[in-house]
Amino acid sequence: MSAVDVESSAMFVFSDEQNALRATVRRFLAERSPETEVRRLMETETGYDTAVWQLMAGQLGLQGLALPEKFGGSGFGFVDLQIVLEEMGRALLCAPFLSGVVLAANAVLLSGDEAACAQYLPGIAEGGTIAALAVTEASGSWRAGDVTTAATAVVGGYALSGEKLFVPDGHVADLLFVLARTAVGPSLFAVDPAAGGVTREPMGTLDATRKQSRLTFDGARARLIGEDGGAERPLSQTLDLAAAALAAEQAGGARRVLEMAVEYAKVREQFGRPIGSFQAIKHKCADMLLAVESATSAAYAVGWAIDEGSDEVGVLASLAKAFCSEAYTHCTAENIQIHGGIGFTWEHPAHLYFKRAKSTEILFGNPRYHRALLADRLGI
Amino acid sequence: MTDRPDRNGLSADELAAELRVFLAEHHPGRTPPATVPTAAAERLAFQRTWQATLFDHGWAAPGWPRRWGGMGLPLRLQAVHHREMALARTPVAPSRIGYIVGPSLLAYGTEAQLERFLRPLIRTDELWCQGFSEPDAGSDLASLRTRAVLDGDVYRVTGRKVWTSGAQFADWMLCLARTGPAGSGAAGITALALDMHAPGVNARPLRDMTGGAHFAEVELDDVRVPVAYRVGDENAGWAVARATLGHERSTSLASAGMRYRRVTGDLLELAQRRGRTDDPYDRDALARAVTDARLLEWSGQRVLGRVLEGGEPGPLASVIRLQHALFEQGLHELATDLLGPHAALAASEAHLAAGGKQDGAWLRGFLRTRASTIGAGTAEIQRTTIADKVLGLREVGR
Ligand SMILES: Cc1cc2nc3c(=O)[nH]c(=O)nc-3n(C[C@H](O)[C@H](O)[C@H](O)COP(=O)(O)OP(=O)(O)OC[C@H]3O[C@@H](n4cnc5c(N)ncnc54)[C@H](O)[C@@H]3O)c2cc1C
Repeated sequence: MSAVDVESSAMFVFSDEQNALRATVRRFLAERSPETEVRRLMETETGYDTAVWQLMAGQLGLQGLALPEKFGGSGFGFVDLQIVLEEMGRALLCAPFLSGVVLAANAVLLSGDEAACAQYLPGIAEGGTIAALAVTEASGSWRAGDVTTAATAVVGGYALSGEKLFVPDGHVADLLFVLARTAVGPSLFAVDPAAGGVTREPMGTLDATRKQSRLTFDGARARLIGEDGGAERPLSQTLDLAAAALAAEQAGGARRVLEMAVEYAKVREQFGRPIGSFQAIKHKCADMLLAVESATSAAYAVGWAIDEGSDEVGVLASLAKAFCSEAYTHCTAENIQIHGGIGFTWEHPAHLYFKRAKSTEILFGNPRYHRALLADRLGI
Repeated sequence: MTDRPDRNGLSADELAAELRVFLAEHHPGRTPPATVPTAAAERLAFQRTWQATLFDHGWAAPGWPRRWGGMGLPLRLQAVHHREMALARTPVAPSRIGYIVGPSLLAYGTEAQLERFLRPLIRTDELWCQGFSEPDAGSDLASLRTRAVLDGDVYRVTGRKVWTSGAQFADWMLCLARTGPAGSGAAGITALALDMHAPGVNARPLRDMTGGAHFAEVELDDVRVPVAYRVGDENAGWAVARATLGHERSTSLASAGMRYRRVTGDLLELAQRRGRTDDPYDRDALARAVTDARLLEWSGQRVLGRVLEGGEPGPLASVIRLQHALFEQGLHELATDLLGPHAALAASEAHLAAGGKQDGAWLRGFLRTRASTIGAGTAEIQRTTIADKVLGLREVGR
């Protein structure tokens, strides 16, 4: 079957359980991640609140939600995880969730290394382990083939040398998964950041609600995960899942800024009438809704494809990542514009979403990269 | 202060040559030492020193009368001046607002006001801000509510201004206040030169999304403004507010075009440095940026040409402002694209320095230019103005 054929037509309807999950998470985040908390955590170096993190795991089981039961998770589907991420995107939650629960956990899972899964995943699922996946280097590339960090075999394992940049939450992780090159090829390694040979520092980021870091490895001891030289395929699959997860987060953020813009357009008066009565503003809002609804469709289309084990996942992940990134950026810029002068101030939350949108547009590859990947994957 | 020479009779080439000699000797470089976005005071001091140097050597305010410290150059030479300054990357003018306020003073100010205000304004010994917008009066400026009540030989001014650029550093505000009855709209507004150090003035810096505090909220609580500092007649402030920048504006449009040619040069340099000039998509985007910059420049020159022939700036002048705003945003979006993953970093991140000295500036510009389509009238208002006033669509359907 060619990738452009439609194999199944999911109804894209949420179950009652899924609606309940959304409501629970939204309530939780309204209480635990209001704007004041987001702003407080932005200014901290770790960038998240450990108490909230524990509650997410203990009370709601969010970290383990979509991980297999045999590795300490609850075995829910990817769409369930996307519902959670959509809400996190709305609330701009500051937490190492995407980095650990989506990126790192899936990298281990997809490596097929059962022993590693049994060792590392339960800790991630219960919230006790903060994990991060380090792929990108100075080039910013997300392709395994571009990795230059070197892994050398030593007695009882490997030693890593090299530098990783733009690593989401790498500076706070208790456990690092690192892509490095052995004599055979790109391979995945587990590294204990507390052991010798690892230096970590946060990088100053445009989006202070999601931290990135710089990691240097200088003979750091590492454990091989999965096959030696076999990381390319599982990494690519991990990144597809990450793109799908981020697409949901972006759709959630975009919907939130649309709501902000529309609320404001209804109450802000100029020339004796609400600005929402001006056609220029009406059209902006309508175009934003177009972007938001399309982004939501794209995000969940890939989510459902993942849950169905469809072979279209790669195509849809790239499509969704490219589309949702641009839709989110567009909506956040328009939200600022519709708010006028007040939308340009620090006190107003509009810029927080704008910066999150820009940084997620770049994360896992920008829209152009993903459209090129989409074209490749379509075989054109 | 040295004697300020008259360069009025020079040819374009002579003026350019003289200016280059001056710049070679006095140009302080582009940025103050250790500038961070919040070190506004330090940057301002640097820019003021430069402006004073220009003034003292007779190179400030090319289009303004020599009598008040300007150069009194004909338009043709003003354009040369702007071009040379843009090419030399001189520090940005410390008080752009002053240069907006100045022409209004020239047009509407009394002889005594000109005597009092202009020289310190040009030399930036005194800084100005523009107190027009209020929390409820942005696009709809004519609905402003700050009141000025005549009491003997002073106006007593009470109200609140917002988003006032540079108010926290300003010595004077060109303030619009209502002297007519509430609801009198544009017909009840008076322009006042208000002393920012007078009792009752409280300017609270407002942080903006770039992280810096470039504008402020200004509380005016029974501030006394001498009647002698009223600019124009009572209830005639709207005309002052709308005073076109006339010839000065036309030439500054031309100079902006020059500046953008230089900035697109920087963009091409960025693309080269990042190895982004082979890909057809990148090449197309860069070619478009160059095209847009040139269009701005040429359109600016056409406006200038008309004005030089003694005509009105014409419809193109309205179009150019909107074009500028959109161009600035697009240019910076392209720059962030070229920066790749580094665009996710803060402008102040040290790692950017390894990439290139100007990378942080692009990122700051990326945030700053969100205001291009808001400040000084939003893009939506511009479009409406163009449609109504230039294309005559206001009358349709009435
Ligand atoms: C960086 C910056 C610096 C500034 N500096 C100064 C300064 O020094 N002095 C000063 O006086 N002011 C200053 N301003 C204020 C600026 O002039 C106002 O922000 C601007 O005029 C818009 O007004 P507002 O913010 O009240 O937005 P609003 O007028 O509330 O507009 C909100 C939205 O509604 C739209 N809208 C409003 N009316 C209409 C309409 N009729 N048709 C269609 N759409 C409409 C707008 O386009 C905008 O998208 C500054 C603003 C910024 C951002």
